[in-house]
Amino acid sequence: MKERIAITGIGVVSPAGLKKETFWANLKAGRSFVDEIKRFDASLYPSRIAGQVHELDTYSHLSSRLLKKIDVFSHMALVASNEAIKDAHLDLEKVDKERVGVFMGNALGGWLFAETELRDMYMEGREGVSPYMASAWFPAASQGQVTIYYGFKGYSKTIVADKASSALALWYAAKTIIQDKNEFALAGGMEAPITPYALLCANTRGGLSKNNLNFKKAYRPFDLYRDGFVLGEGSGMVILEREDDAIKRKSHIYGFIKGVGFSCDGVHRIRYSLNTEALEFAINECLKECEWEKEEVDYICLDGEATILGDILEAKALNSIFGDKLKEISLSAPKSMLGNLLGAQTSLDLIATLLSMQNSLVLPTINFQEKDPHCDIDCTPNYPRERKIKKALILARGRGGINVVLGVEKE
Amino acid sequence: MGIKEDVLGIICKTLDVKEEEVAPDKTLYDSLGVDSTEMVELRVAINKSLEINLEGNEITNRHSPNQIIEIVAQKK
Repeated sequence: MKERIAITGIGVVSPAGLKKETFWANLKAGRSFVDEIKRFDASLYPSRIAGQVHELDTYSHLSSRLLKKIDVFSHMALVASNEAIKDAHLDLEKVDKERVGVFMGNALGGWLFAETELRDMYMEGREGVSPYMASAWFPAASQGQVTIYYGFKGYSKTIVADKASSALALWYAAKTIIQDKNEFALAGGMEAPITPYALLCANTRGGLSKNNLNFKKAYRPFDLYRDGFVLGEGSGMVILEREDDAIKRKSHIYGFIKGVGFSCDGVHRIRYSLNTEALEFAINECLKECEWEKEEVDYICLDGEATILGDILEAKALNSIFGDKLKEISLSAPKSMLGNLLGAQTSLDLIATLLSMQNSLVLPTINFQEKDPHCDIDCTPNYPRERKIKKALILARGRGGINVVLGVEKE
Repeated sequence: MGIKEDVLGIICKTLDVKEEEVAPDKTLYDSLGVDSTEMVELRVAINKSLEINLEGNEITNRHSPNQIIEIVAQKK
């Protein structure tokens, strides 16, 4: 990218909390926020555990008139957006709303709303369907609701790219600021997959842990006894702006999006390629765009899918690129505590990385018991480690090998 | 209850607003920012509750509550 873009506000709705302070304190403690799904009868699902948000209503600022029109994934996005705007001290009276864009990543859409209304349609006929169904369920609904709520009219987009959705949304947002299409961008993602139908689809897709009995220990990337990832729900939103503007506004700058690399495996609609060329290409492109030498990278936030293939390929690509230097870099998958938020995951990975930079602490990969001999990496098992982080890479891989790597720096 | 009270009650319940927020002679768009989707919900609620058959655009967000009461009264 021609210039780096400052991140000046963060908002989080996660299984580990809805305030950045709580979120950080909980992640630092290395606790699992995975729980059994109890909000509907999930007893017959092969995977029936998830990282869930329990306090959304407590922290919500929305009217009941609005809430009945939107799905919970938009509710999460609106709450996270509100936190990010407040955190960035954006004066909504003064900002030019024609130049504020909203960029969101999402994989599944709003199924709680859709399932309920489809059931009503078959039970009661067309009159039984809420008219808000038309605008509540689809992946771009949350972006629409946020732009309407704040009156933002800048260039905006929703990206659907499985687990790489919010990584691409963040990149796209930064690009529009560099191109001077926007002055500010509200960017991130949201996902609410803990509904009967969405959970069914996620189970059919495969890759989920079935360790239902020992659910706190179920999500264990790079561990020999892993059996897949655990779903999570929530939203992460950040405010992006030009570095000069942020300095002029005297904003607190958490860090900068410096570069991005992406590629697609292009071999199968779901599976990754068995060779790591495309993933390595994305990592190398990101390093090139950031103008970083390999040894300058302090931290890599891992994709950590916790599938045999996903972990082995990720470890192999990193070893291939960094070689012996990989031992000097801290690596971890904090998502092992939260569950994987699919389309929203990278936005929370970014926020966790920024807070790690701020606190000079590498968050752990929890539930690590025994090293997989095919994954030759140190993933910061179970306990955080003190370390100054100036430069970090964040890896995201979507179905079929959509590879996105974000480069983030502190100073 | 008369039609007026019925319609006002449905407006308040459907739009989730208090009776004092409803301006009888202002359009629903101007007074409460009601959008076209909310109008669909309101029309369906009135039809169901008062057992009448208002079609697509017979009531819109450019009508005031008093105008809607009049239209409903003609249907009864």
